[in-house]
Amino acid sequence: MDDTAKDTGIVGRGNDAGARLFREWFQGLTRAADEGRGAAYVFVMGSLCELLRVFDFPIVFPEINSLQTAVRRVAHEYLNEAEDYGFSPDICGYVKADVAVQLRGGAHPMGTIPKPALAVCTNACNTYVKWGEIWERMYGMPLFTLDVPGSRGAGLASASGSGDFELDRRYVEAQLRELIALCERVSGVRFDIDRLREHMAHATAMNAGWARVLELNRSRPAVFNALSDGTIFLGVANGFRGTAEGAAYFRDLVEELAFKAERGIGTTIEEQWRLIFVGVPCYPIFRRFTELFTDWGGVFVNSTYLWFASGGANLGFAYDLARPIESLAEGVLLGVRDAMDSMFFQTRALAGMVADFAADGVVFHPIKSCRTVSTGLADTRRALMAVTDVPSLFVESDLMDRRVVSEAQMKNRIDAFFEGLASRRHQAAAATA
Amino acid sequence: MSATLTGRSAAPVFPAWRGQALDEILYHCRELVEDTDFPTVRRWREAGGKVVGHFQVYFPEEIAHAGGMLPFKVRGAAVEPTQAESHFGSYLCSILKTSLELALGKRVELDLFVTHPICDAARNLAGVWGRNLPYPCRILYLPQNPNSAFAARYLRDEYDRTRRGCEEIAGRPISDADLTHSIAVFNENRALLRALYALKRERPWQLPADDAYVLTAIGGLVPREEHNDLLRAVLPLLEARAAPRQDKIRVILEGAFCEQPPLDLIRAIARSCYVVDDDLLIGLRWITSDVPDGGDPLLSLAESYIERSAHSPVQHDLRKPKDRMLLERIERSGAQAAILMAAKMCEPGLEELVVHTRALDQRGIPYFVSEFEENMSSFDSLEIQLETFVENLLFD
Amino acid sequence: MAYAAGVDVGSTQTKAVLINEAREIVGRSLVDTGANVMRAAETAFAEALTNGDIEEEAVEFIVGTGYGRYKVTFGNTQVTEISCHARGAVHMFPGTRTVLDMGGQDTKAIRVQPSGEIVDFCMNDKCAAGTGRFLGAAAVALDLPLAELGPTALKGERAVKISTTCTVFAESEVLSWLGKGKKIEDILLGVHESIGARSIGLLRRVGIEEQVTFTGGVTKNEAMVATLNRRLGLSVNVGDEAHYMGALGAALFALDRIVAGRAPAHAPGGAA
Repeated sequence: MDDTAKDTGIVGRGNDAGARLFREWFQGLTRAADEGRGAAYVFVMGSLCELLRVFDFPIVFPEINSLQTAVRRVAHEYLNEAEDYGFSPDICGYVKADVAVQLRGGAHPMGTIPKPALAVCTNACNTYVKWGEIWERMYGMPLFTLDVPGSRGAGLASASGSGDFELDRRYVEAQLRELIALCERVSGVRFDIDRLREHMAHATAMNAGWARVLELNRSRPAVFNALSDGTIFLGVANGFRGTAEGAAYFRDLVEELAFKAERGIGTTIEEQWRLIFVGVPCYPIFRRFTELFTDWGGVFVNSTYLWFASGGANLGFAYDLARPIESLAEGVLLGVRDAMDSMFFQTRALAGMVADFAADGVVFHPIKSCRTVSTGLADTRRALMAVTDVPSLFVESDLMDRRVVSEAQMKNRIDAFFEGLASRRHQAAAATA
Repeated sequence: MSATLTGRSAAPVFPAWRGQALDEILYHCRELVEDTDFPTVRRWREAGGKVVGHFQVYFPEEIAHAGGMLPFKVRGAAVEPTQAESHFGSYLCSILKTSLELALGKRVELDLFVTHPICDAARNLAGVWGRNLPYPCRILYLPQNPNSAFAARYLRDEYDRTRRGCEEIAGRPISDADLTHSIAVFNENRALLRALYALKRERPWQLPADDAYVLTAIGGLVPREEHNDLLRAVLPLLEARAAPRQDKIRVILEGAFCEQPPLDLIRAIARSCYVVDDDLLIGLRWITSDVPDGGDPLLSLAESYIERSAHSPVQHDLRKPKDRMLLERIERSGAQAAILMAAKMCEPGLEELVVHTRALDQRGIPYFVSEFEENMSSFDSLEIQLETFVENLLFD
Repeated sequence: MAYAAGVDVGSTQTKAVLINEAREIVGRSLVDTGANVMRAAETAFAEALTNGDIEEEAVEFIVGTGYGRYKVTFGNTQVTEISCHARGAVHMFPGTRTVLDMGGQDTKAIRVQPSGEIVDFCMNDKCAAGTGRFLGAAAVALDLPLAELGPTALKGERAVKISTTCTVFAESEVLSWLGKGKKIEDILLGVHESIGARSIGLLRRVGIEEQVTFTGGVTKNEAMVATLNRRLGLSVNVGDEAHYMGALGAALFALDRIVAGRAPAHAPGGAA
């Protein structure tokens, strides 16, 4: 049965297509750089690609560029360059890697990154803003900060349609209109609301696809590894947000994963343990990091990373194209707010994830670079341990900086965690025997 | 007199300084500022008052005050975060941990705790605090896009939400009249602080940096009316102070907008320099001129946050690029050099150092860079370096 | 009679323990690890056999542990020292619910169930502050033998506050306190307080539940034990075999496998 599955070429299609799309994207960026075209620099939590594509901006995700330098094992060169320039070792590695890319005139392992004509960030991460200020100074380009008010406390996210929600939504909408005016000025392209509708339609399809993809991993065995495969899917979800190719990709991906789920086809290893990942992956030793878990038969079935780093696309929000700008505001507010909640107020959602995905354990991975994600993780873990008795591991490293990533030390902790899981399963079996 | 609050005595929470000579007043103020048991907050509670704790940098304290509550500025302390430490990971500034320690260790008890997402580390505080303490912990979303034409309107509505939250805690409505009255009290407070800083700028030998610091910091610990009384009493005494003018260089201190350097460090700096301006406790001095009277008080307060405010690394405003703001501060205060500080692990502070040092290099303005930690107890090394820096300037 | 062995390859010392089916220690050894880790493991094992007067063939299962556990090539499997220390501690002190292992290079805090199953663990292996290494640095700075640190510190009356968090700078801080006229006893007490505080910080992360068992090389230091007891407000368990806790735990895991291998029912699932 497995052989026929491979023959049709459907299994593994998503990974291959994802890699191809990435290459094409960076080839496009290199062409834009060569032609001297300015790009829109955006971020994963609230990228506004739906809107920016209306103005024909090439889209650059500096976060993705930075993580690629780590995956391709050259991050340390970029970090050193930025630190020589004056940036502290103690600030976000993504920022520093990008500073070095800029200092090198856009030279990047995957091609050439065009300079920014404008940058759009949300307040979902404060570092976004400081990062944007660097480009403001370097290039004299405008930084637009889209202010998205988040939940005012745990469990206090205002409901769509409520008075409080509407106050926030109309602020976001007012800012979006200001952004449109700015984009017109910078790009010289007139705003076309029908083009916006088109991109929003694709984004709606991608949102639905993303939500379905995540849901399909409830299958036993899981149909993809949320850490390794998930990062590829996430890259397309962000880099191709609002495009026809992105929509097609997710249509095909859902088909592939549903195919696998129906036939009980899992990942490349035999699934012994179903795990949840909380944090940002260890990119400097990305493949090895995943192996530290898969060597034990551990498969990541879901991750909060796939929530917040998709800008809340996991909500599967469907835009109302009859009122595009109003609806865009609503979608952005819901998505970015949810992304923030899955970093700061995640206890209940995590407990739900553990139950829904039949997880055997939760891996918390705080990282030096990202205080947004990491600062509250020790406490979140305590809170989770108070409401469920699912075993969890707390292992620190970084998303960029090899100097603070120690494979041996991580392996020690990871092995001890699996020893504990095995012992627990053994004792449970003995108890029921 | 203390804030009006029905059913509570109006006895001052900080009476020790009244009727004293200047040196005694400063002594009492120093004692209070360094007291990690926060006796004034305690006394307020014992008299039946409610406390609204707010984290750095800025909070519209008038709203809490208008509800008859004490706005208490949470800004860490010189304590060991033995309980708080295990709630956080590594690579973090100290102020988050010591602030939580104050709450967990019951040195300070609040009825409401409010934070604003100033930076990626601190924005986690609401979540951590809320999971570990029994009272409401809320986030106030001050606009990160103050350049939007809609920002003031948005903030007004956000302040209204804050008002409603405070009403719930206070157990009574907060009217526009209450707000107008509170704004007047805080306008006076800010004017007095401006006068204090003017004296520091014009005649720094009469107001060393550590004295100025202590007199400012009191504001975060006591009812504003008491702080106004103190400042009104102290200003003429300072003006009349007989202190010889010394041959010290005029510097500004930039980078202490959140985690605060220990008082001893400020004193050490004051030994070598006249600190003629700084961003110490900038949140208490955020609004730079009177909040206008008349009309909707919340809207006036909101507009003031956006239109008549200072600057900090944690507020992005296209009209206030940080390098220009630094140079303007130096020019306005007639400083000759800058002491640039960043709290250890303070991401915005460390990022700003890059901007500041480049701007000063371009203008050829001398500067001294140092990291600090609120809990540091020995600064021998720092003092030696600073003295060397100063000597170089003096004997150039 | 079958025997089980545990070999704990640490960065400075390698320990081996042999136990019999009654879970009694019948042989042990301790050698310096040195540069050749594999040889150290082999030597330790051989010396433990000699020490217990046991034939190699009688040892049915060997578990390697410690940072060099994969170099115990003659072993049958590896188990992390975290699991082994927990197992060893609970064996020696069945009331153990929390373990603090302070070695020369790292410190571990482990919380366990009554069954010995690990609930949570936390390690400090990034930085020597809070480990035995800090004591080593102080010994160098004060030119005292390590063994004298504890007794000297016990004579201290007013612990000096050590503020540096870095072992490298601890030396200069210790010297600077001497220069300011502080007594060696008080300085050393301060050093112990500093290590104690950091270790307890680790313990708090996993949650402190009685009984607390203290293991590792530093357990011989009475001042460290006294400091921990005072700060924790309880009495930590300290065994004679503190050095061997990891190897003992490994040997116990080895014995499990011997017993499981004999059991008629099908082996339980899961790795290790």
